[in-house]
Amino acid sequence: MTNIALAATVTTGEAVTFWILAPLALLGAIGMVVARNAVHSALWLVLTMLCLGVFYVVQAGPFIGMVQIIVYTGAIMMLFLFVLMLVGRDASDSLIETLRGQRVAAVLVGLGFAGLVGTLVARAVGDTTAVGLEAANQNGNVQGIAALLFTNYVFAFEATSALLITAAVGAMVLAHIHKPKSERLGQPETMRLRFRPGNYPAPKPGPGVYATSDSVATPGRLPDGTLTQRSVPEILPTRELSPRETAPKGTEK
Amino acid sequence: MTIKFPDIDYAAIAPLLIMFGVAALGVLVEAFVPKRARHLTQLVLALAGLVAALVVLVTQAETRVVTAGGAIAVDGPALFLQGSIIVLAIMAVLLIGERSLEKGGPFVAQAAITVGSEDDRRQAARADGATEVYPLATFAIFGMMLFVSANDLLTMFIALEVLSLPLYLMCALARRRRLVSQEAALKYFMLGAYASAFFLFGVALVYGFTASVQAAPGRMAGGVDFATIHAAATQSPANRALLFGGLAMIAIGLLFKAAAAPFHVWTPDVYQGAPTAVTGFMAACTKVAAFGALLRVLYVAFDGARWDFTPVLGAIAILTMLVGAVLSVTQTDLKRLLAYSSIANAGYLLVGVLAGVREGISSTMFYLVAYGFTVIAAFAVVTLVRDADGEATHLSRWAGLGRRSPVFAGVFTFILLAFAGIPLTSGFISKFAVFGAALDGGQTWLVIAGVITSMVLAFPYLRVVVMMWLSEPGESTPTIAVPGALTAAALVIGVAATLVLGVAPAPLLNLSDTAGQFIR
Repeated sequence: MTNIALAATVTTGEAVTFWILAPLALLGAIGMVVARNAVHSALWLVLTMLCLGVFYVVQAGPFIGMVQIIVYTGAIMMLFLFVLMLVGRDASDSLIETLRGQRVAAVLVGLGFAGLVGTLVARAVGDTTAVGLEAANQNGNVQGIAALLFTNYVFAFEATSALLITAAVGAMVLAHIHKPKSERLGQPETMRLRFRPGNYPAPKPGPGVYATSDSVATPGRLPDGTLTQRSVPEILPTRELSPRETAPKGTEK
Repeated sequence: MTIKFPDIDYAAIAPLLIMFGVAALGVLVEAFVPKRARHLTQLVLALAGLVAALVVLVTQAETRVVTAGGAIAVDGPALFLQGSIIVLAIMAVLLIGERSLEKGGPFVAQAAITVGSEDDRRQAARADGATEVYPLATFAIFGMMLFVSANDLLTMFIALEVLSLPLYLMCALARRRRLVSQEAALKYFMLGAYASAFFLFGVALVYGFTASVQAAPGRMAGGVDFATIHAAATQSPANRALLFGGLAMIAIGLLFKAAAAPFHVWTPDVYQGAPTAVTGFMAACTKVAAFGALLRVLYVAFDGARWDFTPVLGAIAILTMLVGAVLSVTQTDLKRLLAYSSIANAGYLLVGVLAGVREGISSTMFYLVAYGFTVIAAFAVVTLVRDADGEATHLSRWAGLGRRSPVFAGVFTFILLAFAGIPLTSGFISKFAVFGAALDGGQTWLVIAGVITSMVLAFPYLRVVVMMWLSEPGESTPTIAVPGALTAAALVIGVAATLVLGVAPAPLLNLSDTAGQFIR
């Protein structure tokens, strides 16, 4: 593992990578905050995280870089996207401010804070040469992290188990609804409910596919020719078609 | 490459391990003990664990050791603060376990049931409260005890999360006014995560500052343990802006938990929304943990930058005292009033922290214990004043309580006088101690601000006293419920401690004085 970039100086390749990816990372971060749709926000964040992962690898931290990409971007963000999709696509932020002028103030203060931290770090490390990288990666990057985890930070490492247990218990407490056995429905009751008057026991019809429209929002036709709203998924907003959309498209001849 | 596992002094960290074991056992109890027996099992388990940890802690009273690879420091302040966390947590667990005031206890049975639904009304009326709060509370206690003895910033960060996560959850579990409770939990969680991020950013900056500095010959260069940071504060060739930036952000993370202005905005909402037993737990134990960690960070790690951080933190202390005192005058809800009072008390505690002398450490520790006893007793009384909708916390509802139930109104009056710092209560002695230490340390400006705000802060307390005694009870004046054995025990301990520490404070003052020496 001695082929990890050991020198403290910045090579051309590193500089080029940085100047390509840094604006992208910034763009992703800004996009995440600005995007109205939660799914778009999450995707912007993925971009930033991927760029950061590459930065870590370039800066001789391959382990943390890979963890960033595999665990954060790969697992956690995808899980996040799954949740967003499950919750529903109309979960976009409302733009009504509960506190007047909050957004402007937040932008100003945020810019001020970024400027403060940016200049602080720039002034502090601008003319400093990095030290300690060779010593840290002496026996290999992963081995170095393992050595720290199982010596100096072994108690902290073990204490994280408390965090994991708490998280599991918390998820149970906040999300699980226990139904007593008496409230669970058996097979006969389920069947009776299914065939009770007023319920539609068969699978729902598929959406209509026509020459003029193949949208899932278009109702399908029943065998007798009537349209059925049953084929339109409930989460779709009802939408009035504009005159242009309902006008003949010249395909009827 | 060989890795040598660090020596761990298991006897010294036994109280921590006991609390962790009890919490893990509590989770198993949830899984395997039948529902009917769970509450009693959990309560007995938690109390037994706390008492066992306290006993073991007392046997370790003379231990002064840095162990587990330098991650944990078991020294005077750590032992004293761990002991106070355990004692205050016993009182809080007593309040949490109370089930005679309300059928099923103060916690919701199933937090996932939609608020206001038919199922929700049914469970509010008769279902037994969730018993998961006990393992959560013990995990939080474990985190707090680790927090005050952590000897490097990463362990401290993990401890911060271990103590915060269960608190966020417990805030969301109130049986009554569940939407307010859930809002409080979400608010606490969001802002807490934000503050943790600041803490972590600060750790990174400080790590950059310590690079190439060895705490002792032969040690690894760089690191976030307090000995290395202490060495770096005097020797590091790096730009000191990194040190100051790092310290500022770490302080933000810690002051957030301590509820100091301007990082206090979560406090009133969370104190109001959380179940009152949990609020008492937070007000007493979290405060001990946060100030214990702050003391250690400032006295052990950043001692070399004392002249640089004292003016900044002093300004925060004054702002905290002012915000707490002035805003508590305008409050109309008793839980919010106590929240603002806890903010003001964070300011007085900061005065003790900034004294910069050994008396500063010991007086702050004394203040933490005295305040903890009083504030849990205060919240215990709040759980007793009820009407059909649960606790009646609006101030106007308390008018005339003195006529209706002189005993409890008298007890609450005594507690309020202790908050106001009237002589013969622990509040007077503790304020006297921190102000005296600050004068010794040459921080007269803080003492002046402290005395002035104390006078302002006495007004809201006395207003409540006047309302209770001099108003006629009206139609809507709530009844004072007869406390169950558990609440009564917590209340008696709290009031007795407030009185004893006010009349004969010498033993605890001596104890905190002998314990007031950090090791590095």
